[in-house]
Amino acid sequence: MATVSGRVAAKAAADRQKRGQADYGRSGHPEVCHEDSGCIRSLCASVDASLTQGLKKRVGGLLKSYTTASLFKQCAKQCTPALLVAQKLLKLKPKLRMHTFGVIFESKNGDSSRPVMILSPLVQKHLWIRTALFEKHLAKIIEHLVENNSKYYEKEALLADPVDGPILSSLLVGPCALDYSKMKTPDHYWTDPPADELVQRHRIHSSNPATLNQPQSPKRPSLQINKRGGSTTSDEGRVPMSARDYVESLHQNSKSTLLYGKNNVLVQPKEDIELVPGYLSLHQGVEGLTIKWTPNQLMNGCSEDSESETDKSLYWDYAVTVHLDEIVYLHCHQQPDSGGTIVLVGQDGVQRPPIHFPKGGHLLAFLSCLENGLLPHGQLDPPLWSQRGKGKVFPKLRRKNSQTNIQKSQDDTQIFDGEEATDYVFRIVSTFKPELVPQELVDPKATPNGKFTFMPWTTKERARHKLTRSQPAIVQQVSTTSAPYFTTQMTTQVSALGGTGSPTSLFTLCCSSLFKYCGTPCSITGLAHCRHLHTVRTHLSGLVNHAIIPCEEPSDATDGLTVEKWQSMQQNGKVHNQEELVRLVYYGGVTHEIRKEVWPYLLGHYQYGSSEEDRANHDEVVRQSYEQTMTEWLAVEAIVKQRDREIQAANLAKLSSDNSFDGQIPLHREASNDHELDNEVFEDDGEYLQNGEVDEKIKMQESVDEESANQEVKEITDGIIAQEKIDTSQTTELPRSKSPRQDTCETESGRSLSENTEDFECISQKSSPHGSDEGIGHLCGNEVENDDDTENNSSESCQSCKTEREINGNVELDDQSRIKPIEVNTFPGSQERDDVEEAISNQGEQGGLIVPDSLDASSHLTPDSTAVSPVSSSGGVYSTELLDSFGLNLHRIEKDVQRCDRNYFYFTPTNLDKLRNVMCTYVWEHLEVGYVQGMCDLVAPLLVILDDEAKTYSCFCELMKRMSKNFPHGGAMDTHFANMRSLIQILDSEMFELMHQNGDYTHFYFCYRWFLLDFKRELVYDDTFSMWETIWAAKHVSSGYFVLFVALALVEYYRDIILDNNMDFTDIIKFFNEMAEHHDAKAVLKIGRDLVFKLQNLIENK
Amino acid sequence: MAKTYDFLFKLLLIGDSGVGKTCVLFRFSEDAFNSTFISTIGIDFKIRTIELDGKKIKLQIWDTAGQERFRTITTAYYRGAMGIMLVYDITNEKSFDNIKKWIRNIEEHASADVEKMILGNKCDMEDRRTVTKERGEQLAIEYGIKFMETSAKASVNVEEAFITLARDIKGKMDKKMESSPNPRNQGVKVVDTQSKKSSGFSWKCNIL
Repeated sequence: MATVSGRVAAKAAADRQKRGQADYGRSGHPEVCHEDSGCIRSLCASVDASLTQGLKKRVGGLLKSYTTASLFKQCAKQCTPALLVAQKLLKLKPKLRMHTFGVIFESKNGDSSRPVMILSPLVQKHLWIRTALFEKHLAKIIEHLVENNSKYYEKEALLADPVDGPILSSLLVGPCALDYSKMKTPDHYWTDPPADELVQRHRIHSSNPATLNQPQSPKRPSLQINKRGGSTTSDEGRVPMSARDYVESLHQNSKSTLLYGKNNVLVQPKEDIELVPGYLSLHQGVEGLTIKWTPNQLMNGCSEDSESETDKSLYWDYAVTVHLDEIVYLHCHQQPDSGGTIVLVGQDGVQRPPIHFPKGGHLLAFLSCLENGLLPHGQLDPPLWSQRGKGKVFPKLRRKNSQTNIQKSQDDTQIFDGEEATDYVFRIVSTFKPELVPQELVDPKATPNGKFTFMPWTTKERARHKLTRSQPAIVQQVSTTSAPYFTTQMTTQVSALGGTGSPTSLFTLCCSSLFKYCGTPCSITGLAHCRHLHTVRTHLSGLVNHAIIPCEEPSDATDGLTVEKWQSMQQNGKVHNQEELVRLVYYGGVTHEIRKEVWPYLLGHYQYGSSEEDRANHDEVVRQSYEQTMTEWLAVEAIVKQRDREIQAANLAKLSSDNSFDGQIPLHREASNDHELDNEVFEDDGEYLQNGEVDEKIKMQESVDEESANQEVKEITDGIIAQEKIDTSQTTELPRSKSPRQDTCETESGRSLSENTEDFECISQKSSPHGSDEGIGHLCGNEVENDDDTENNSSESCQSCKTEREINGNVELDDQSRIKPIEVNTFPGSQERDDVEEAISNQGEQGGLIVPDSLDASSHLTPDSTAVSPVSSSGGVYSTELLDSFGLNLHRIEKDVQRCDRNYFYFTPTNLDKLRNVMCTYVWEHLEVGYVQGMCDLVAPLLVILDDEAKTYSCFCELMKRMSKNFPHGGAMDTHFANMRSLIQILDSEMFELMHQNGDYTHFYFCYRWFLLDFKRELVYDDTFSMWETIWAAKHVSSGYFVLFVALALVEYYRDIILDNNMDFTDIIKFFNEMAEHHDAKAVLKIGRDLVFKLQNLIENK
Repeated sequence: MAKTYDFLFKLLLIGDSGVGKTCVLFRFSEDAFNSTFISTIGIDFKIRTIELDGKKIKLQIWDTAGQERFRTITTAYYRGAMGIMLVYDITNEKSFDNIKKWIRNIEEHASADVEKMILGNKCDMEDRRTVTKERGEQLAIEYGIKFMETSAKASVNVEEAFITLARDIKGKMDKKMESSPNPRNQGVKVVDTQSKKSSGFSWKCNIL
């Protein structure tokens, strides 16, 4: 176990090093790396882990702490580089001690001073490694350790390993070659932390290492009191965040300015425990001011010793974060014997834990910073007084002074005279229209029981959001004012105004009564609750099946569908029990070996209860129709390919004639000249054969036939009509002229083609042994005649083929021809490619003989097209539109197939061609939709499992019944996004809040690929399999929209990282794109199932 | 407030599928070439910060799916883009022809003053070239856009192309800033602060 972890660490070290170099080895500043980079931190941790592993007790454990530091000390005695590092360390030591205890840092204004960098305990732990690295001695030290491993390490240690040890030391040579700097090097700005680093940080520093792997759901009661805004109800559920990140967030950083920081501020976080010292800080960010208090325990130790981790989670509960815009009153108590206490009171009347300042004017300093921070949009009321020489002081307040906000009702606790003990109440007011509110009126007593009856409408959305249902018009007016404290002021104003007649006051009166009416906490809560329930009922209940099918009943399904269970489910080769099957699959997946058998059931290819014979028949039917369809499109493909070849040749010709001749074009022209002379495709044929260009005759002829057919089409487009071809070209034009009936034409032609192609194959087969001139000539003759009859065009041509076949009496070949196309075209892609190359090179060979002249590109096509061939005659059935559109699709498919999952072992060229065939067949059948990127991704896993083209095709068709709607033409994606939004709103309001504030929530584009491909790109292949089968099974077990819940599960899985880093949509897109294939599918699926369950319960309990 | 960059430029890569948009981006952002990229689905972006005239410029480069069908998503990103790279494949005539279509797309969806640039990618594959450099240049002149032939594989001109585009954007922006007194420019992104909820307990304040 230890060895494994050591190895892993070593590997991680290597990776990190690579990444470090990738990140920092950027052009311009290749060799400088920032010392505080996360890369360095994790590199050090990895090295430390590698070194710890297998360390001899005697070496590591002499001191209490079993660390590499003691190893290093020993090492320093013998190894010069280590000695140098040790000396350097000694110099550092005094500086370090200064900062060991939290942050000692105060600043009046964040702009003037920068925070002191402190070393986190983790950094200190690896300090020697860090220092050695920065001094570039680390590799040498490790080398020394490796060389003398017997002294320090057990035999099985990583460093004692004859291979791994030296590898580790040599790996570190790279990092040691870099320069390290404390300066903010340009590199520092180069990148945002990559996703895996974010995750790793979270893992390393999270005080609860399991957070990532556990669903958060139980912590977050969803349909309880709406905690949006400042209602301080359910934040106990706040998941412990990464300690280090949190601590770092307390410093001045890019997101917020630190206005004030003071350590050893006491807070009594819970009533039953005593005062806890901690670090108080005041931050100014875009959102406004935030007061944070963090217990010292969290400030000091991130993860120094594992035992205390449980205790720490406790402290997380104690940590306080208060948004100042949620605070209305600030009560200051000053006792003679202490520094002073501040109590923050929220708009909802809830008091935050009192903050006890140490003696010495800290309270005043804090208030002064706070006041500064509130400017320009807010202020303390009463304001602090400036006194010469003393700076800010408490305002001198007199009891009867109506300008103050002191609570008069609490006389007994107030002592006025004497600076030592004075209590104040400051009100935090927005300077927005201050004249509206006479100070006298601002009296908290206006609200009963010390509870303020306003909800904290901190943003206009919130206001609108909650109130739309009651008074939309007014709310809109209110929201346009957008002042956070507006409503508060409004309400207090009511009594004073007493109904004076100005429009403004009427309006405010109106608003305030509105807020009074619906602003009481209970009605708000009730309203929100109702609203939620309403959303759930109307929008989301359709997302899940209402019957809950448990995992445990009738048997535990967590193991999924195992081989034994699968066998026991089959009776006489029949599988009846669909419910049980899908339940097992849903909760535990399918054992890989039997996926091939089970998937067709899950996808609906096989019927439940079908006998073995039924299935075999079904397979056969499917196979035949698949092959049938294939022959159809293969013929078209041939034409398209040929056309492309021509175009390519033409382009090449143009290109090389543009730039002096390079020998290629002349060749081509020579060939074409030949054609022109001969005017016979078969001559061509012979010529090609003579050249020994292609070995397989069948292939040869096919291509020749296609070629001529294509040229014919080409010819039409080029407007060049050869003498002999006039009638044929007319035929081709006909379908075009019928463009309104385009679709029917196409299908018609497709159908007729299917038969035709077969025949052509048949013919071409025949032709080589028997000398095909006659047969084909005959056919052409027929064709030419029939062409005159445009109405019966396709059927006629088909007939003519049949006639032809009969005439030749080669009926038995027919059967062969049915099979032939498939066999021949198993590798159409490569074959065609070869063809092209060969064609070009062949032309090249020939061409030397002919002097290039100025023939234009199209002219040399003419000869080919004059040749009449069976395909060319029937080629007339295809409309140019059909050819164009299928051609376009072919290109796209080709491109995507070629680059589809090349890294996965299954996709050899052979199998890629299978993939291509399936894809083309589908597209041929759905030409109106055509190929859309992503379809290949959906075929691929099916093909991997089923390993059978026809079956894959059938299953893919089944799959596409659900999936095709997700593609751009289907329009289901927007529905998904909307549902996703509702789900997040219901099930994770905090996340919703973040997404809401950070951008347009309709743009859930980070989910786009998820939904389009059923997470195929997000997961590695093995995980994709289980994801897919779970999704399929879910339809019958829990939800037809299980993908939504998986998506939500993915968001939830990383929710802490998303929330802690305050990611906007852009960040989230980047994060998830980088996290692709790094997800824990099992955990995500489990969370997904839990989420479904949760929603089911919500709906049930309505 | 501490900022890690002076400007944020949003760039967009468009062009037919398979012309190598992702590879170009990967070359620029990671300085590496990966021949095993699969088709881009949806949208992705990469970040790289460069320095121009002493200013740190964060380039957020969006990579789009090439297939026209995904236009609905990709056009959503047109609007925010300050610079657009039009990529075609010099071995693929069609992709070159389609540049015109893409430009039309830009005219339709992107802001009018967006900086554009045409890249003829895969210029390492000289033997399979079907679009001459002259034609590329000609087209660029036609539209008054800059043009470069690049190769993500051989690392030719990729860096230069992006820096040129960024420089053009910056030049345009500087000009704008001169004319308008507002020192803040659109390129700066305001970073939100973390919004943490207060942890709340019911507390009795003895003053009340």
